[in-house]
Amino acid sequence: MSRVLAVLEQRDGALRKVSHEVVTGARRLADAFGNSTVDALVMAAGAARGADAVGGFGADKVITLTNAAFGSYAPEGYARAIVDRVKAGGYDAVVFAASATGKDLAPRVAAQLGRPLAQEVTDVAVEGGAVIAIRPVYAGKALLKIKIAGSPAVLSLRPNVFTPVQRPKAGAAETASVDGSAGRVVVKQIKAAPAGTLDVAEAPIVVSGGRGLKEPANFKVLEELAAAFGGRAAVGASRAVVDAGWRPHADQVGQTGKTVSPTLYVAVGVSGAIQHLAGMRTSKVIVAINKDKDAPIFKVADYGIVGDLFEVVPKLTEEIKKLHG
Amino acid sequence: MKIAVCIKRVPDSETRVKIAPDGKSIDEAGVKFILNPYDEFAVEEALRRKEKAGAGEVVVIALGPAAAQETIRTALAMGADRGVLLQADRIPADGLQAATALAAELKAGGYDLILFGKMAIDDYNHQVGPMVAELLDLPCVTTVAHLEIENGKGTAEREIEGGVEVVEFPLPAVLTTDKGLNEPRYPALKGIMAAKKKPLDTKPTTLAAGGLDVLALMPPPERQAGKIVGEGAAAVAELVRLLREEAKVL
Amino acid sequence: MSSERFVPAQYQPPLPLDRLILKNGAAGAGDRMDLDVLIVGAGPAGLACAIELAQLAKRDNSDLNIGVLEKAEALGEHSLSGAVVNPRAFRELFPDVPAAELPFRGPVTHERVCLLTSRATIPLPTPPTMRNAGNYIASLCEVVRWLGARAEALGVNLFTGFPGASLIVDGQRVAGVRTAATGLDRDGQPLANYMAPNDLVAGVTVLAEGTRGTLSQAWIQWQNVGAANPQIYALGVKEIWETKRPLDTIVHTLGWPLPTDAFGGSFMYPLEPNLVALGLVVGLDYRDAGLDVHALLQRMKQHPLFRQYLEGGEMVEWGAKTIPEGGYYSVPARRSGEGVVILGDSAGLVDVPSLKGIHYAMQSGMFAARSIFQALKANDPSAERLADYDRLVNESFIMKDLYRTRNMRLVFKDGFYVGGLKAALMTATGGRTPGRMIKMESDAEVSRRVTPGLRPGSVTPDGKLTFSKVEGVFKAGNATRDTIPVHLTVGKDVPADVAEFYAHMCPAGVYEVVQGTLRINAPNCVDCKATDVLGPRWTPREGGSGPKYKRM
Repeated sequence: MSRVLAVLEQRDGALRKVSHEVVTGARRLADAFGNSTVDALVMAAGAARGADAVGGFGADKVITLTNAAFGSYAPEGYARAIVDRVKAGGYDAVVFAASATGKDLAPRVAAQLGRPLAQEVTDVAVEGGAVIAIRPVYAGKALLKIKIAGSPAVLSLRPNVFTPVQRPKAGAAETASVDGSAGRVVVKQIKAAPAGTLDVAEAPIVVSGGRGLKEPANFKVLEELAAAFGGRAAVGASRAVVDAGWRPHADQVGQTGKTVSPTLYVAVGVSGAIQHLAGMRTSKVIVAINKDKDAPIFKVADYGIVGDLFEVVPKLTEEIKKLHG
Repeated sequence: MKIAVCIKRVPDSETRVKIAPDGKSIDEAGVKFILNPYDEFAVEEALRRKEKAGAGEVVVIALGPAAAQETIRTALAMGADRGVLLQADRIPADGLQAATALAAELKAGGYDLILFGKMAIDDYNHQVGPMVAELLDLPCVTTVAHLEIENGKGTAEREIEGGVEVVEFPLPAVLTTDKGLNEPRYPALKGIMAAKKKPLDTKPTTLAAGGLDVLALMPPPERQAGKIVGEGAAAVAELVRLLREEAKVL
Repeated sequence: MSSERFVPAQYQPPLPLDRLILKNGAAGAGDRMDLDVLIVGAGPAGLACAIELAQLAKRDNSDLNIGVLEKAEALGEHSLSGAVVNPRAFRELFPDVPAAELPFRGPVTHERVCLLTSRATIPLPTPPTMRNAGNYIASLCEVVRWLGARAEALGVNLFTGFPGASLIVDGQRVAGVRTAATGLDRDGQPLANYMAPNDLVAGVTVLAEGTRGTLSQAWIQWQNVGAANPQIYALGVKEIWETKRPLDTIVHTLGWPLPTDAFGGSFMYPLEPNLVALGLVVGLDYRDAGLDVHALLQRMKQHPLFRQYLEGGEMVEWGAKTIPEGGYYSVPARRSGEGVVILGDSAGLVDVPSLKGIHYAMQSGMFAARSIFQALKANDPSAERLADYDRLVNESFIMKDLYRTRNMRLVFKDGFYVGGLKAALMTATGGRTPGRMIKMESDAEVSRRVTPGLRPGSVTPDGKLTFSKVEGVFKAGNATRDTIPVHLTVGKDVPADVAEFYAHMCPAGVYEVVQGTLRINAPNCVDCKATDVLGPRWTPREGGSGPKYKRM
């Protein structure tokens, strides 16, 4: 029998949604091992809200490790607590989310265990008892398939890939208090991200507007859509509207082939006739909204809606807000 | 201030990825190699900290093939004082192997700061810095986008989902740098000339056994032809469903 | 239908000599560096010069501080050519390097010349001027990187990412070069990573800027150096394709899709059996204001001759560059002066009928090196001493070759058929008939005919075989930042017709006509210099801007 440990994340005492993905991924890995259990682990100052629901995603047991210093992320304290648990529990795999915290925590745990780390994995399997992981490399231009020999396999899972799957099974719960301090690295506070600092070239989601918006004030419609994505979206602009002075240069989506490569690119009122296409072509998913069904952008887009953007975009904003609750 | 910066030689981000005949790596023919862009922030930060302190040394260390000497020279041209090449046949896919080799070199260095770029733009591994910190038992903060240091203590800001984490840590420490930390300087003409004369030690390095095997490097799945989901606001619900369930971007 | 006409020269501003020629010690520079020899341009001419100089110094047990400025971010990134290379300069510069180690892709084994019609391919006998037995197919990018590595190994200082922006002069003497500043925003204001220009001062400055070199032009104009004819140019647009079907011959074509009042032709060379370089070259004295070389190339690829190779393949690179075509009569009377020499394409050392320039460029670099070395040894980099370089070139195969074909391109100013006849006559008589120099106007002085309306045979890019200019610029590896200051100086009051002409002329889509006015997308520029010949003047911009050619 194999044992998989899923490391969950909480913030302000509540489990973050990405934890469901971690459990789902851990469950998938456990099923691949065959006849395996999934334990979910969360570090917190006290009980973590939402921990009881985790069983529904495939965890056989949820363990909350409490320590007064664990309210905020405490890299060294968390890492030590996890390592102790892994060693005591004889786990075959330890799974993290490849979130900001997860990508920070997983390497520490792996190094302490003397184990390699497969970071930001998009698929897992088991072959001959060894974990096989697939992960994107070269900015997603290729996929790397790796085999992890030995135990435990340590992995972090790319967000938005292991879509949570509900199972009608509740898990057991366990709470244990852990000794020790937070460690030398102390999180003092979490500040709100300053508004509008998301760089168009770096944002995971870009909502871009073109001349179809008719006037500068109408960009508000895109700003609202971007805001609905919860701080992960930047508003871009076609060169035409930047040159017309509607939007600042910094928002311009490159026209000279600068690779802007967000996960999701939403082109609103952008015809795609000339400058826009080259720069954003390598986006993972392109959505186009345009009232002209023959607009060239539809040839490049993965999904398109033909329609009046002033009707479509607010509706989209509404739907996205619902999703992010 | 004594600062070490670990750097990596990587293919340029615009490289068209062609898979080599061995099926496990990229075909390097005609590929342009550069200093990992995230490492540039690290080199720049090291230079600024040394300049601020008025005295000290910035050492750049690279693990890689002989060609990585050129990458080290780029950092020397920016202003680093000396370089060390841990020469190995290839840069390992296993981050722990790389971390082990680097930690061995860094151990006796007495560095106040050890800087890394947060990740390399080829393997996206995002791990060598914190692993080195663990091996050296040093405090570590990753993806630093803002940094202040005073009296042997540091305050760093790092981006997390929906916010900015403010973190305090003591020196000596390991930090990994993110975009926004600074604006890296271009090497000056004089810097390029001077770089040729700065010391660059080459140390043949055998990598410890690793626990990770590359089975294959594969092209990404073919992009499906696009589809018009529908017309008007009525099509939005379906679009969102597709983005969630099919495209998996929401 | 009535046609309007205009003369491009009327709308062209002059070269800004006040910015291109600065007094030594003029304010504005950050660092100052002293060298023995400063070479502007790390192309085949500049690098051959550097290598020969370094070798001469080594043999002489002396030390020469040689610096080479290159505007591209890395060696080769702004180099583009066909190319089929005559290896003689390589053999002379590297006598100990075996042929297999020279940076060529392979020898020319088969050769075809054809006349194209819209549907047919009519084979022609290969003209004697074009026979390429003994020559090699090569990528100029690869040649340049190979030369660069050898130059560095010999201790030459290569400064990539540093364009030469102005000449520094002491009286009539060229004292060196000022580089371009980096890190300015669109309004010319310094950004956080601003770097001031640098002054590089040297005993001798070598201008090896390639086609339509800005500093070369500035010096020639400043020193009133004449030539029998003005320099004229052709624009070549080139693509590299990974093909499913192998190619084992080099191909040159004439005729379709060029109109009969334009000079030019195409080339298609196998770098590897399944890696094909092809392009279309058109003289910039074309008469039709709507002629668009990139568009013609896209159309040309649909012809069965090309289509059979390209179908199902993938375009991996795109680029463009002008070629000096004036030949013998357009070479400046002298290419040397006080403290300066001019090499290669910048000096017009290109033979159009054989499409050769690389070995002339390298040879000129080697001759210059020898003259410079002697001049520096005698501590006398004067015009008299450096004139020795001119003598070496004049007495060499370079000028002999150019003289033999001196009128061959020029006869085509009368159109394809008359030109073809005259050219054939010329070949048959070894250049003696027609023998007298044919007077040419500069390209900008040639009147253009505007014919409004949609052009017949325009191609809507399909993204598989044919591509838009933006796609091309993307494939050129151009990632110039959008906030860069505009480096093109436009004439005053450019009417819509002329703006349209610019839009067609530029292969990179820099110029667009929006609601009757000229819009400039400066970051698109791939430094081909066509604009400098016919339209807004090109000036050096931040180092590393422009294309990043890999195997062009």
